[in-house]
Amino acid sequence: MRALLALLLVGCQGIDRGPHERAAGHTAPVAGGTLRFATKDAVRTLDPALEFDEVSSYAVHALYDTLVDYAPAVRGDPTSGYAIVPHLAERYEISPDGKTYHFWLRPGIAFSDGTPVAAEAFAYALARVREKPDSPFATFLADVAAVTTPSPQELVIELAHPNMAFLAVLTMSFATPLRPATMIGTGPFVLEQWDRGRRLILKKNPHYWDAANIHLDRIELLENIPRDVQFLMFERGELDTTERLSSPDYQWIAGRADWAPYVQHRPVMNAFGSRMNVTKPPFDDRRVRQALNYAVDKDHELKLLDGAAVISHGILPPGMFGRDDALAPYPHDPARARALLAAAGYPHGFDLEYVIMNDEQAARLAESVKSDLAEVGVRIRITPMEFASYQTAIGSRTGPAFSKSSHLGDFADPVDFFDLRFGTASIQDQSSNNDSFYSNPELDRLLAAARAEPDREARGQMYRRAERILYDDAPWIWEYHQDMTEVTQPYVAGYAIHPIWMRDFTHAWLDR
Amino acid sequence: MMIVKRLAWTVIVVWFAITATFVMATMIPANPARTLLGPHSTPDAIHRVEAYYCLDRGFAGRYACYVGNIVKGDLGESYRSKRPVAAIIADHLWPTVQLALAAILLQLIVGVPLGVLAAIRRNRWQDHAANVVSLLGQSAPAFVTATLAMYVLAYRFGWFPIGGYGDGLASRLHHLVLPAATLAATGIAYYARIVRTEMIDVLGEDFIRTARAKGLAERDVVVKHALRNALGPLVTLIGLDLGVMLGGAVVIEFIFAWPGLGRELLQAVLEVDLPLILGIVLVAAIAIAVANLLVDLVYLWLDPRLRDPT
Repeated sequence: MRALLALLLVGCQGIDRGPHERAAGHTAPVAGGTLRFATKDAVRTLDPALEFDEVSSYAVHALYDTLVDYAPAVRGDPTSGYAIVPHLAERYEISPDGKTYHFWLRPGIAFSDGTPVAAEAFAYALARVREKPDSPFATFLADVAAVTTPSPQELVIELAHPNMAFLAVLTMSFATPLRPATMIGTGPFVLEQWDRGRRLILKKNPHYWDAANIHLDRIELLENIPRDVQFLMFERGELDTTERLSSPDYQWIAGRADWAPYVQHRPVMNAFGSRMNVTKPPFDDRRVRQALNYAVDKDHELKLLDGAAVISHGILPPGMFGRDDALAPYPHDPARARALLAAAGYPHGFDLEYVIMNDEQAARLAESVKSDLAEVGVRIRITPMEFASYQTAIGSRTGPAFSKSSHLGDFADPVDFFDLRFGTASIQDQSSNNDSFYSNPELDRLLAAARAEPDREARGQMYRRAERILYDDAPWIWEYHQDMTEVTQPYVAGYAIHPIWMRDFTHAWLDR
Repeated sequence: MMIVKRLAWTVIVVWFAITATFVMATMIPANPARTLLGPHSTPDAIHRVEAYYCLDRGFAGRYACYVGNIVKGDLGESYRSKRPVAAIIADHLWPTVQLALAAILLQLIVGVPLGVLAAIRRNRWQDHAANVVSLLGQSAPAFVTATLAMYVLAYRFGWFPIGGYGDGLASRLHHLVLPAATLAATGIAYYARIVRTEMIDVLGEDFIRTARAKGLAERDVVVKHALRNALGPLVTLIGLDLGVMLGGAVVIEFIFAWPGLGRELLQAVLEVDLPLILGIVLVAAIAIAVANLLVDLVYLWLDPRLRDPT
């Protein structure tokens, strides 16, 4: 008993919680070493034609290279990382009508077993995505009319309709060269070991075309480690980096002078808000939707998110092509909200159910929304649901009219945001991607024209108009774009959070 | 005859468990095809996947589809990982078995002596101390003991790894200590209380007085005569514990990142991964049923009076 008490007392004494190991101070990247990180969830699949969850993408992106990729992210620049650059393709041409995409492969690229890559391998991989019965990506390639390979170095993709977003689609991991009956890839790393649900180890690919810029020998990913446990392991030096810290951990570490230089945060390709089914009263009245936009205090939500977010005026995140950075978010103006509600015939507000996903952060934010809305007379009842039920409920035309909503982009083009979430073609009675059931012929025409517009400046102008329409029509309460937060050990170099890949350690190095 | 009857009951219990789970799982208001296909699913793709997994049939059709496959020995494929359910269970069963056996071992080697000590030092400080420990162990929820143990013993002192599974025997045992100890905490307390009560009863019996009168050493009286007779009820408890633990210890496995069945089941439920849910419940039901069967057999062996005279 006495021993136990003594143990607890010692356990409660202060210990040094600063970084244990400093950077060695090399100016050029040092080769070698293993970078260790952990994820809350398991890696589901390493098949690039099936993977769409974030954790699997960490591994898949390191194993499979694509024709084009995003530029690297730059620390301190929250808009970096969105530009599309040649990758396995050395160069490309898009025909003026936006229907023919012609790629010339980089000479000397090989699979990780040393076999040279021919253009047919891309054609095979794309066909595989379109033909797999449970393919989540078949719709992305629905426009593809023909894929041809005029020479082993050339790939030509013909589309049935002009689609200027198609280049961005090809940044997705499924557009990677593959051969029948093998999953050997062309990425900077190869799979060394995978104990499913526990640990995945990647090893440097000796045949990689850009091997000189890959410094780590290995990347070790520990699966299924709860976030608070990750933080303890990180502090003990068992992990080299840890992300999306819980609120107390984040506040603590960001406030410490010895850790602060190693904490990074930036907006990534997401948008959060509250979607309203605009076909159902009271949301069939635009004034009601605008009123709720004025009623919600986004600054308070920002505080609840530890400041790690950007208040939004629409669905496009900062840095995304087509975003109008000059458009100011709806201000917090309860008086105006009440006036709009009164004008819409709801001077005394109304009662409503508000569905959220069952997690602690969503609950905290929902309470904030609830008290803001109560201030203008709108009384909401919060219903938490588990992910699968939530997703099914809000995708249904007859489901709950008001809920928390989010959009995590798949590729960096407004098509993946506007057309998918607000286009009339995305409306279904069940599993509707357009879950506000918003349908506006003017917006549809604009989006169709923008999709086919070859002139980038003109196309950007169109999307800025689309943003304005959605801002005014307010099918969502536009709330925020949430930052990804991460803290690395002082010796982790060459790494910045990427807006699309999030955690891409392929070019990192260890300064020890 | 008795054994055949027991076996038949085992089959019925297992069937009942999977049927009940099936009914509950199909009542979850979520479309697994949507979860499976992700945000870009088209109605066409959803229909295709529904057909592929028998989701487009009525309740009876789906049930027939599942049970039919199970009878054929095919547990199906997980919606999310596209792997055979049997392979997923095979990956996660062994970690769960190790954790369960280690926990039961701890319950026995700590709980039983604690109970004996409390009984022979009845109403003295050792008894009170054992009582306090039992009460704490029984009333503290696993997530509290697990988190505390992890924080103090692993994070602060660094005596144990914070979480994970470990490679090789030594590392595995090292990783196993904290999850097994916290999983065993409630059981240790319970076993100690049961053994104490039983021991006090037995120590008051005539044959103990006889043994003492024969001049046997107190140690022999307690261990050979009293303890052996007091252990009967523990057999039932061990059987039940083993059955329950083999279904996976959700909280402990989650906190310590132990790759067992409990964690998988939790994840499968959240994602409405029906084949995986049913597969794990099937294994858990079989474990409980078989453990019960073993308890019955051990009783028959221990106590010939229970054997069917016909």
